[in-house]
Amino acid sequence: MDGVGSDVILSIKDVSKSFPGVRALDNVSVDVHRGTVHGLVGENGAGKSTLMKILSGVYERDAGTVIFDGQRVERTTPHQSMQSGLAIIYQELNLVNKMSVGENIFLGRFREMKGMRGTHAKAREILDSIGCNIPTTRLVADLSVSEKQMVEIAKALSFKSKLIIMDEPSSSLTGEELVELAKIIQQLKSQGISIIYISHKLAEVFEFCDVISVMRDGRIVDTRPTADFTRNDLISMMVGRTIENEYPPRPQCVGAPLLEVKHLNTRKLQDISFTLHYGEILGLVGLVGAGRTEIVRALFGADKVRGHEVWIDGRKVKIRKPMDAKEAGLGFIPEDRKLQGLVLPFSVESNITMAAFRKFSWFGLIRKSLEKGIAARQVAALNVKTPSTRVPVRNLSGGNQQKCIVGRWLELSPRILIMDEPTRGIDVGAKYEIYMLMKEIAERGGAIILISSELPEVLSMSNRVLTIFEGRITGELIPERSSADEIMSSALGMARVTA
Amino acid sequence: MTNAEMNMGLGAPAPKVIAISPDAPRRGKLVVAFLKEYLVLIMIALLVGITAAVEPKFLNPANLINIERQLGPLMMVSLGMTFVIIGGFIDLSVAGTINLVAVVTISLIQPLGQGTALLLGLGLGIVCGALNAVLILSSGAVTQAEALFLTFGMSTVYSALALLYSHGSTMHFWDMTASKALFETIGSGKLGPFSVSFVIFLVCLALLWFFQEKTVEGRFIRLTGGNKTAARLAGVSIARSIVTIYVLCGFMTAVGAIVLFSRITTAAPTIGLGFETNAILSVVVGGTTLLGGKGSVLRTVMGVLLVTLMSNCLDLINVSTYLQVAVKGAILVLAIWLDNRKQA
Repeated sequence: MDGVGSDVILSIKDVSKSFPGVRALDNVSVDVHRGTVHGLVGENGAGKSTLMKILSGVYERDAGTVIFDGQRVERTTPHQSMQSGLAIIYQELNLVNKMSVGENIFLGRFREMKGMRGTHAKAREILDSIGCNIPTTRLVADLSVSEKQMVEIAKALSFKSKLIIMDEPSSSLTGEELVELAKIIQQLKSQGISIIYISHKLAEVFEFCDVISVMRDGRIVDTRPTADFTRNDLISMMVGRTIENEYPPRPQCVGAPLLEVKHLNTRKLQDISFTLHYGEILGLVGLVGAGRTEIVRALFGADKVRGHEVWIDGRKVKIRKPMDAKEAGLGFIPEDRKLQGLVLPFSVESNITMAAFRKFSWFGLIRKSLEKGIAARQVAALNVKTPSTRVPVRNLSGGNQQKCIVGRWLELSPRILIMDEPTRGIDVGAKYEIYMLMKEIAERGGAIILISSELPEVLSMSNRVLTIFEGRITGELIPERSSADEIMSSALGMARVTA
Repeated sequence: MTNAEMNMGLGAPAPKVIAISPDAPRRGKLVVAFLKEYLVLIMIALLVGITAAVEPKFLNPANLINIERQLGPLMMVSLGMTFVIIGGFIDLSVAGTINLVAVVTISLIQPLGQGTALLLGLGLGIVCGALNAVLILSSGAVTQAEALFLTFGMSTVYSALALLYSHGSTMHFWDMTASKALFETIGSGKLGPFSVSFVIFLVCLALLWFFQEKTVEGRFIRLTGGNKTAARLAGVSIARSIVTIYVLCGFMTAVGAIVLFSRITTAAPTIGLGFETNAILSVVVGGTTLLGGKGSVLRTVMGVLLVTLMSNCLDLINVSTYLQVAVKGAILVLAIWLDNRKQA
């Protein structure tokens, strides 16, 4: 069982790791076999990332043993683990945008490759071996996300990797690109390379993986061959309880018009006009880059836009900056939680209260007790898991961080809440809680504009969707009455549809 | 803060047994954490100890009084600079502002009287700060690096104005016939055991600490420094924070300039030379991070104390001025290095 000469490439035994106040990993044991794709699923904060960081040498484990390729691994650094044949491809890809594909694959090893000519030749060879025909002289900045991923895989292969860990590889891939990824994974497998596949998207996990391990609260709950799991098994193991549906029933309380946007034009948007009703969840569907985010940013005053009209409740309002939008009763949950939503080093408390100054100040003076009250109320109402409201928000898992931003706006009871990718990178349980919150907001008479790249999410939650293609609204559909195909073809600009 | 206090704050009575047992080994860690956080205190203690051992003159009352008076101007400027840095920006124009405020204020004592001169001098500081802010906002310079170059440019502009205004000459109190008692009091008066400039410093510190901790405006500045984008999207006015920090810095710089020329009773148009680097050095050494968002005026006080003590000690043991500059530079690099390690 210790992995020497056996078909076990990686054996993790009783590994534990604690951070101040949190036991991130608790006696984790798992074996990964040669030439298999091993799925690793779990909610955010379950310990997947910690485990990966211990394997790659970013963190040191407190206890336990790790045997990789028959060798006990003691202290290691990310560089050493890469050299020994264990590669990690992170969700945020680690490439140098201003360098070529070939240079990225052999970054820092040009001399070993005998200069640029050797570098490009060898890079070509590796890319060909995974059936990828990107020219090695292309700049990485010009590649699509999936192409960048291929470059990362090629880089891993250049180290003769025996095990490749892929952390959320599909989070920004389109359907076609996903098929490409599936092919490459098959190819790697046939070369005897093992893969640990971490993903929130269960459909992929079922399709790609031979074995699945489920993590929860720092432990491995179960490891079984994929065929022995059902989708519901997996979800209930991940969250520790049974979830009947992934989505709550959509709110059914659409009323009179609340918000009207007329003739919104920018360099990217062409004559965007739409209406949002009381109690409505309006989905914006389109490809990444179609202009969905630009629409809501312009509406919220985040980008400078002139000439359009915004009417709320039949009254014309001027929104020049986010502060005006806030005053007008709008809230905005931006797409990039860490860069646009949170002040990471600040406490959970300041992150929750940062939009609600009016409610805890008196003639410009902060009243600490009121501020504490606001934070405590939202933490309790949204079930944010945090040791206290004073810890940095950085320490929370993605789902809990997102809840802090939601709580920030709920405190102001906005009439219109804009949610741009509200569930990106958060786990099943937290997702469901966010959906329930959306439903609640709508049922209390608020309205939501929802942007999401996950089609099932928009279709299940929205009362109505607008399809956006190349900066124009190409269709308006009712998901209850339209098929996903109809909506997609409208979002791809193939047909102009009106429900 | 002890465990007991924290629990009281949260309102939940914690079981005593659990609260005490893990505390014992943790106390050592807390001490280490505290010392890491306030490394500057250790450095001050070391500096005082070593210098006092090598050069007993250091502890002479005369020398201590000298240090106390040297502290004033740099203190004022650094307190203002603290807010600029917490807000995620930087202000290199303080040297120029000091030059301009000093020569203008001193020249106005004779024609306009001392009270008016004082008020106009402070007003000029505010105008300089506001001008910096307006230029930053109107040019769309929203990064620290852009603000660095912009305020550096403004520093030369203010210095040039000071030279033009004074025709390059130094002005002295003893050339004036009008009453300048107000400035003489600021420069060398006593209030009980303390010098007047020290009292001014204490008042400024108290007000600024209150501003930093207890006001919404202070919080806006912190949020701006922590993450401009997030703060803006939460409806915080970044423009307002930028105006506040530069106006505040301009005002405190003017206070510093007035305290400075009042103490030495003369104002040359180059009187502020080197203040920008010393102020930034003090703020950063005190532990306010250049990344923005974190820091405190209290930390700056420790930073100024260290920087001023160091100059004094190096003077006492006859280290050449050139070498002193090098030491200061090394300390700034060390402070930034430690800060980055802490943030990582």
